[in-house]
Amino acid sequence: MDPRDVALRQALAPEEEGSLLTLPQLAEKADLSLPLLEALARQGLLLPRREDPTPRYHLDDAAAIRSGLELVEAGLPLGELLDLARRADEAMRPVAEAAVDAFVRYVSDPVEGTAPSEEEAAARLVEAFEQMLPAARRLVGQHFQALLIADARRRIT
Amino acid sequence: MRIVTRAIPALERPLDRAPDHVWMSPDISLWGWGEAVHFDPGTGPDRIQRIRSGLTDLHTSSEVDDDLGRPGTGLVAFISVTFATNSPGSVALVPRLVVGRAGDDWWMTTVDSSLEPPDPVESRPHPDRARYAGSSVPDVLWLEAVSAAIDEIHRGAYEKIVLARDYAVWSRHPFSPATVLGSLVERFPSCQIFRVADLVGASPEVLVRRRGTRLSSLVLAGSTGSHADAEVDRAAGNALLDSKKDRWEHELAVRSVREALDDLGVTYAAPEGPELLRLDNVQHLATPVTGDAGGHHVLDLVEALHPTAAVGGTPTEIALDAISRLEGMDRGRYAGPVGWADGRGDGDFAIALRCAELSGARARLFAGAGIVEGSLPEAELEETRIKLEAMMGALGAGSGRSR
Repeated sequence: MDPRDVALRQALAPEEEGSLLTLPQLAEKADLSLPLLEALARQGLLLPRREDPTPRYHLDDAAAIRSGLELVEAGLPLGELLDLARRADEAMRPVAEAAVDAFVRYVSDPVEGTAPSEEEAAARLVEAFEQMLPAARRLVGQHFQALLIADARRRIT
Repeated sequence: MRIVTRAIPALERPLDRAPDHVWMSPDISLWGWGEAVHFDPGTGPDRIQRIRSGLTDLHTSSEVDDDLGRPGTGLVAFISVTFATNSPGSVALVPRLVVGRAGDDWWMTTVDSSLEPPDPVESRPHPDRARYAGSSVPDVLWLEAVSAAIDEIHRGAYEKIVLARDYAVWSRHPFSPATVLGSLVERFPSCQIFRVADLVGASPEVLVRRRGTRLSSLVLAGSTGSHADAEVDRAAGNALLDSKKDRWEHELAVRSVREALDDLGVTYAAPEGPELLRLDNVQHLATPVTGDAGGHHVLDLVEALHPTAAVGGTPTEIALDAISRLEGMDRGRYAGPVGWADGRGDGDFAIALRCAELSGARARLFAGAGIVEGSLPEAELEETRIKLEAMMGALGAGSGRSR
C-alpha cells in the first residue's frame, strides 16, 4: 500500500483493536439503551469504525448520543430528534463527500506533487488532516449554531 | 320518554350548528344536540352488554312515534367504549335532538321536547396551533417497549401486538369541536367522522355495521401512502400487495374477525385475499366481510369483535396482557368501539383511531402501530409520529413557522 495511504489510514482510525466495541458492549459500557443504539445504527446515524467481521463502535461515539439524549431530556421528543437527525444526515452526506474530494484535489494532490519523498508526503498529509478535521468540525458546528440563533432571533423580534 | 321522528327538508351545514354528538359516514350521518340520557356503564367485560340492556330497556319503556322506521330513526344513542375492560369512561348518550341523513333523506328526532336545530354560527379557523405538552411514556421507553415486543414475537410468545402512544397538547384558545370536525371532514372525507363525549376523530375502519339482518365489516390492516404520480402510486400499491409483512399483519386482522363471528355463530362471507383500497391519500389492504347478523343486536357484534387484531394483537388475550405490561398508559377510549345504535339494534361502529380527547384548551392525541416479526422500532416510532403530527395539524391552525 502507498505509504501516504497507510499514514492516512492510521490517522483515520487510530484506535487500538481493544477500544472498539460491539453494540451491546457499547450500550453496557456507556449505560445507553441498546434498542436506541440499534435503531441509530440501522438508520446510519451511528457509524461503525470498523465493519469486519462485526460492526464495532468507539466509546467516543457514545458522547454524541449523550448530547442527543440531553436534547430529549430537555423536552425534544426522540421521534422529532431522529427526524431532524435523518434530515441533517441526508443534507450533510453530499457535503462530506465534496469536502473529502476537495481535500484530495487541493491538499493531497499538491503534497504528492511537491514533497521530496513519499515519507515526507505522508507526514505532511497526516499533519494537514489532523489540523483540518477539528477545524472542519468547529466550522460546521459554529455555523449551525449561528443559523439556530439567527432563526430564533427572527421569531422573537 | 316520548321519542318523535319526522322527515324534514335538507339541513344546510349541520356541523356549523355546533352539534354535541356526531357520526358522519358516506352511508349515514347523525348530528345530536343536548343529552336526554347519559349512561355510564362502568368498567368490566360486561360494559358493552350493560349499554345494550340499558338501550333495550329505554326503548321498551319509551313511547316511540317514528314515521320513518329506518336505521338511525327513533331512539338513537351515541356510544363510545373504552379499549380496556378495566378502564373507566365508556359512555352512551341519547341526545334531546337528532338530525339524520341517509342519501337525500333527512329526518329529525326529538326526545321529550320540541327542539329545533340551532342556527348556524360562523365557523372560524382555530386561532392558534396545537402545542405539544408531553407524552404519557417518553419516546425512548416506547422504543424499548417496541423492541421488547419484537423480541417476544421472535421468541414465539405471540404473533402480533399493537402498541400505542399519546401526545398531550394545549392551545392558547379552547379547541372548538366543530372546527376540529370540519378539519377532519376536509382531510379525511372517506372516513367515519365522530364526536362522542368530546372524543373527536376520523376512522377509516368499519368495525361493524348492522342493517336489519345484514352485517358488514371492513378490515383494514397494512397501508402505504398515495402519490400524485399515477405510476409511482401504482407501484406503491403493488408493493403493498406484495409485502409479506403487511399481508401477514392483514391476515391476522381478518382472522380475528372471522374467529369472533364464528364464535357468535353467524354466517358470513369474505374474499380469500385482500384488495387495495384508496382512502384519503392512504392505500390500505382491505377485506370486506358481509353476513347475516342472525338476530344479534349491533352491540352484540361489537362485543364479539372488540378488540380486533387491528388494535390489540394475536392471540388476543396474550397480546392484551402484553399491551398492559409494555405500553405504560391507559388508552381510555382510544382504539375502542365508537358509533351509534338505535332501538331496533341497528347501528354503525368504527374503531376510534386517529382521534383526540378534547378538554377545553387541552387535548390528548393517540396513535398506534402494529408490530409483527420484521418490524423495526424506529420505523414504528416514525409511523406514530407522522400520525400524531397529522392529528395535531387537524386540531390547530396547521403547520408553518412556530413561535
